[in-house]
Amino acid sequence: MGALLARRALLAIPTLAGVVIVAFLLLYVAPGDPVMEMVGERADSATIARLRSELHLDESLPRQFAHYAGGVLRGDLGRSFITGRPIARDIAERFPKTLLLAGTAMLLAVIVGVSIGVLSARHPGGWIDRGGLAIAYLGVSFPVYWVGLLLILLFAVMLRWLPPSGYGRPEFLILPALALGSRSIAFLARMTRSSMLEVLSSDFVRTARAKGAREKWVLVHHALRNALVPVISVLGLDFGSYLTGSILTETVFSWPGIGRYVVNAIGRRDLPAIQGTVLFLSVVFVVVNVITDLAYAAADPRIAYD
Amino acid sequence: MSLSCSRLSFVALLALAACRGGDAGHRRTLIDARNRYDPKSLDPALSTDVPTGRAVSYIFDGLTRFSPDAKVGPALASRWDVSSDGRTYLFHLRSGVRFHDGSLLHASDVVHSFTRVLDPVNKSGRPWPLYPIAGARDFAAGKAPAVAGVTAVDDSTVRITLDTALAIFPKLLAMPVASVVPAKISPDFGEHPVGTGAWMLASWQHDDYVLLARNPEYFDGAPKLDSLMIRIIPEPSTAVAEFESSNVDLLYVPEADAPRWAQTDEKKALLTSAPALRLWYVALNTTRGPLKDVRVRQALNQALDVHTILDKLLGGRGHVAAGVIPPTLEGADPGRKPYAYDPAAAKKLLAAAGYAKGFDVDLWMPQDPAFVRLAESIQSYLAAVGVRVKLIQRESAAAREASRNGQTDMFVKDWYADYPDAENFLYPLLHGANRGVGGNVSFYENKEFDRIVSLARTEQDSAKRTALYRQADSLSFADAPMIYLFFYNELYAVQPWVKGFVAPTIFNGQKFTDVTVTAH
Repeated sequence: MGALLARRALLAIPTLAGVVIVAFLLLYVAPGDPVMEMVGERADSATIARLRSELHLDESLPRQFAHYAGGVLRGDLGRSFITGRPIARDIAERFPKTLLLAGTAMLLAVIVGVSIGVLSARHPGGWIDRGGLAIAYLGVSFPVYWVGLLLILLFAVMLRWLPPSGYGRPEFLILPALALGSRSIAFLARMTRSSMLEVLSSDFVRTARAKGAREKWVLVHHALRNALVPVISVLGLDFGSYLTGSILTETVFSWPGIGRYVVNAIGRRDLPAIQGTVLFLSVVFVVVNVITDLAYAAADPRIAYD
Repeated sequence: MSLSCSRLSFVALLALAACRGGDAGHRRTLIDARNRYDPKSLDPALSTDVPTGRAVSYIFDGLTRFSPDAKVGPALASRWDVSSDGRTYLFHLRSGVRFHDGSLLHASDVVHSFTRVLDPVNKSGRPWPLYPIAGARDFAAGKAPAVAGVTAVDDSTVRITLDTALAIFPKLLAMPVASVVPAKISPDFGEHPVGTGAWMLASWQHDDYVLLARNPEYFDGAPKLDSLMIRIIPEPSTAVAEFESSNVDLLYVPEADAPRWAQTDEKKALLTSAPALRLWYVALNTTRGPLKDVRVRQALNQALDVHTILDKLLGGRGHVAAGVIPPTLEGADPGRKPYAYDPAAAKKLLAAAGYAKGFDVDLWMPQDPAFVRLAESIQSYLAAVGVRVKLIQRESAAAREASRNGQTDMFVKDWYADYPDAENFLYPLLHGANRGVGGNVSFYENKEFDRIVSLARTEQDSAKRTALYRQADSLSFADAPMIYLFFYNELYAVQPWVKGFVAPTIFNGQKFTDVTVTAH
């Protein structure tokens, strides 16, 4: 396991270096000028020129890159052009909030999605199966933005059970987590169902039933554990969609997380903030992928890494 | 210091307990849902946008300030004297004004504040309101060790000398960037601001809310409310939901939603409005293709039925423009008629200019539903006179940059005054010195217009200045460097329990000191 970790960590280095380079180049190719955002609607060319040189934007591209990469290697993501605050502090302030939202959404999706999947697989063609499938299709088809607004209208404006948006006590978490998780619930339900059906028809399940094991035990201990392997891999892959989904969800629900931070940064051409967030999220991705691999091994003893 | 800090956090806790759960019953906090994004910083030097400028003007004061109806008046300066040549101002500071940390305001703080904004180290994006001060540009360019034109005569008097007379100077000093900060400030001043203003920062959760507590010692009378919460709600539909759930007290009704809100009586009763100093127009780049020809530009003005557009798209909330000066400002000419909607005349003018078969032209727009609809209707009106419009939609930053670089034929946009004066429309939007980044994205240049506007800027006599403004506006109106659309009346929704709120004509004209929230 230790060797696996070490190898994965080494492999991550070129990936992240690539991310740094691509993120840097993309931003310089894209239209829009951070200094124009800093000066606002009415400006003067002397101020613009001065800001450019203060921010090293008047230097050659390789020099700017060296400047940036040097900072990254020293662990310094720089300061936002627009707010002057350190990027690392901004990320540290916001990422836990996104993680809380994404984590809750994921947990919700797993509990609801896997339950629907297992129940559907138990009686294929039954009412739970058909109902679950219908919900699953709806969930996959609706865009998260729309689901979010719909949830706000129903639970906050009409029923007044929950606050429409904001951050704070647990009740602020429910609607955004539901909106963010809705797509995954659907996906996981379908995934679990087909995987369970496959496993349930295999020999060892028949054997387990034949030796008199109770149906619940068979379902959970024998079948589900095996059926979970593809589900875990989907979850790992899906983590990315939680982070990107959080961009929209956080906007709809005024959630002060990293998704909104990066959207604002892009809108303002805040180069260090965009680069810093992209780099940070890439590290998160790599870590999540490693965790997914480790989780495979835990769920299925046949998988071994050497 | 420690006393005021503990008081602050206590108020913060109270306010939080009172309002985060939607329990609107007994709070003495006003919750404002107008901001779609976080202030950039609470450092006045970094203020270039509305959310930042508004927050800064709660916490800080300038030497002067604007009332809700956009009149300039005394603030930290109780009065000022102007020399007969209009170049020297003596500002007499109000005595006994204290910063939130308890220290007394001195004239040296004013000198320091202005120097700080001009110092390139502070990366202020907006030093221009202070450029009229003698030596300001030299200092900003690193050619002088100090700003020669601003000095403290004694503890309570500031002398400011200008390069040339500038009648609007007191208005420039009411802008957020000219706020007075203490001479000694912390390195993260933008996060922990200390001003003299009506409100003190209690807590700031980025992208979530800014919570302000009343300054009980405010020189102009402490606010009647305990606290003011600025919530940051990026999605307009969500802000409306918060308003409808009674969680917020004040809402900016999105332009595109204005007609819908005015439909039901129940909602209509909550609306309040002010004629904002905001012009909507289509900048016509006078240096590109057929738009070089004044007849073409006039024809484009005649081809649009602006009255109908205003009625249908914005619920008739505004005045059709006949010039760039808003009707509420000195210099506007109430007798001047807008271009009349006359497609036949427009076609004739186009034919006379050699475009009997029309021409192709690009119309740029920012990604905002109100502008997108506007651009689409402009496209269809122009199609009727044979002008084939290609719509180009870009993020507002990208569209603005393209227009500043002269890459846009036509650009539908708005212009929001920084200070209430006709000069703030004529000079940035149309003066030759401001072509491109200065705001003149029509790249309009008319020597006579420039001469009149420059003359008006230095004219001390207000009646003469008004006449010059009017003359300049007439001149450019005939040249049609833009399609004149309308001045929009901004629309707010206010909960019935909020008393004393007056919709501000200028963005930093409402400090909420007289606003109360009654039991409900």
